This record gives sequence, C-alpha cells and structure tokens, in this order.
Amino acid sequence: MDQFAIVTAFGQDRSGIVALMADSLYQFGCNIEDSCMTRLRGEFTMMLMVRLPQGLDAEALGHRLTASTRSLDLAVLCRALPGQAALRLHMPELPTFMLSVYGADHPGIVAQVARTVAEQGGNITDMNTRVIGSGEVPVYVMVLEIQLPQDRQSDQLRQALEALKPLLGVDLTFRSLDSVTF
Amino acid sequence: MAIRPILYYPHPTLKTTSAAVAPCDPATQAVAQDLLDTLAASPGVALAAPQIGYALRVIVVDVSRKNGEQGHGLIVLINPVILVLEGPKILREGCLSVPDYTGNVLRHEQAVVEGITLDGRVVTLSTSGFEALAFQHEVDHLNGLLFLDRIQSLSTDLFRRKTSG
Repeated sequence: MDQFAIVTAFGQDRSGIVALMADSLYQFGCNIEDSCMTRLRGEFTMMLMVRLPQGLDAEALGHRLTASTRSLDLAVLCRALPGQAALRLHMPELPTFMLSVYGADHPGIVAQVARTVAEQGGNITDMNTRVIGSGEVPVYVMVLEIQLPQDRQSDQLRQALEALKPLLGVDLTFRSLDSVTF
Repeated sequence: MAIRPILYYPHPTLKTTSAAVAPCDPATQAVAQDLLDTLAASPGVALAAPQIGYALRVIVVDVSRKNGEQGHGLIVLINPVILVLEGPKILREGCLSVPDYTGNVLRHEQAVVEGITLDGRVVTLSTSGFEALAFQHEVDHLNGLLFLDRIQSLSTDLFRRKTSG
C-alpha cells in the first residue's frame, strides 16, 4: 500500500521556494498530491500531502528536504500520514456557508467564533484571517467556509453568531455559498 | 435514442472547439435526442454535446429539473451564441465532467442567448440567475472551455489586492 506524508515548510518569501521544494521532492521520488501554499505577510508557507516512494519514510524525507532546501533557510516538518487519511474520498455535498467577521482587533475573536461554530455542529473547512486598516486602528477580518450536517438548521448557528456581535464588538455576515454543478 | 456516458476530463473532446451544425441534418437531430435522453437520466440540469462525445454545437438546458427553478423549461439550442452578459458575479461552480472539484468562477447574472431550435427557428432568450449560469457554462463547453479555465482564485477573493486602480 502507498505511504503518504504531510510536509509543512515555511521561510522568508522569495522567488524560487516552490521550485526548489517541488524539485527536491521530485528528485527523492515523491509525488505531490494535494497542496496548499500561501504568503502570510513576508513569510511563504506550504502544506503538501506527498506520496512516498518505496524505502523512504517521513522522517528521512524531512531530513533530506531540510538539507536540500538549506539555501532558502526553510523550516521543514514532515510527518507520516495513515494511508486511510490520504484516500481521495467522494465527499458528500453538504450545505456550505461563508462567514465574514470583522471589527476592531482584539484577542479572542477567532477563539469565540470558532467555539460557537463548533458548538452548533459546524465544521470549518477553510479559513483566512488578516489584520487590515491603519496602524492606529487595526481591523481584524476573518473569512470562514463552514459545512453543516444535513440535519442541522443553519438558523440556529446564525442566531448564535448574531449573539456574538455585541459581545465581541464585531460585524459579521453568515450566508449560504452559491454552489452549482452543471 | 440513447443514454450516453458523460465524458470526464481528460477526454480530448472536452477540450475541442465544436463545429457548427445544421438543424435539418438528421445527425443533429440524433445528437439532440441523445442529449435529451442523457440529461433525463443524469442528476444535472444541462448538457453540451461534447460531454457525450460529439464535438458539435448543440446544448440542452432544463433548469426546471432543479427544485424552485423555472426559467424557460426544456430548451434545445443549436449553434448558441451569448449576445449580452450583465451583472458580474463570482460563484462556486462544478461540472459533471470534472467530478469532485469546484472553483470560484466569474459569471454573469443575466445572459441573452441566441440560437436555433430543433425545428429551425432562430430564438433569442433573455435568461437570468441559475438559468443564465447554465447557458454560460454550456456554451463554454462548445468552445472547449471548462470551469477550470475560469477559476478566479483558489479560495476567497476577499484578500486579493487590486494591482491597479
């Protein structure tokens, strides 16, 4: 059975990070499966699910990647993944919602919002946050994609989120994601 | 006449520009019938001929197959052309020919579509909402375009900075 690993890596953003990471993995006989990479301010961050070749385990891959990407000073972490977790499953189509939350920046916004979503049975499947605005009045923005089980009513989550507005001093909108398949 | 299997990318026909057809050609009528039969047996609301293996400019759209949608009902259109698009909108779109993946694409809320019916009449349809989206998606198929060719961003567009303006 195929062996898989998750690789995470990050370092100061510059041209050539993806190229060197991908080339290293290719040279080691790894196959990049699903991946997600983005820039967080000046830092470029990567998450990759890779299929390992025979005879290379996750720990050894981590050492080899650290060595091969040394010129870019990347922090690399590599961990074995149960084969089951790497299977491409046919995901059932669940009702999906977008949630935007924004307001004056203060600690605890993410924690409270995420807690509320979890308590209502929601599953956060994607999330981005960013501090925007002027230096004196930083504004916190978070955007989440949330899936709800079929038997959950979105109204309950909506009400619970609305109740957060005065508590956290934020504005928010919770809306169904228009998703169509033709 | 026949329910055809819906082709999946990377079948080359899905990336081919389809040829215009004549409504009176018996082959056109046969393709249209296959599209109707296949649509009836599928979970979708619209199909284009390339999705069942014919690189010909024929589409079927029937948004009334979806709960709460009416539109123009069942429409077979030959050599369809989109004349006007209005009201840009980003939505999450998927395709029966590209299973298990969706992406954010730019479409329009209103579309005016012109084409020829199976009995040879030229018709102009003013469509909106879900039906307008369906026509845009199907006409793309005739030009060898998949929603993958139109993805705007991998996740949210909110944080994308404008590079000009």
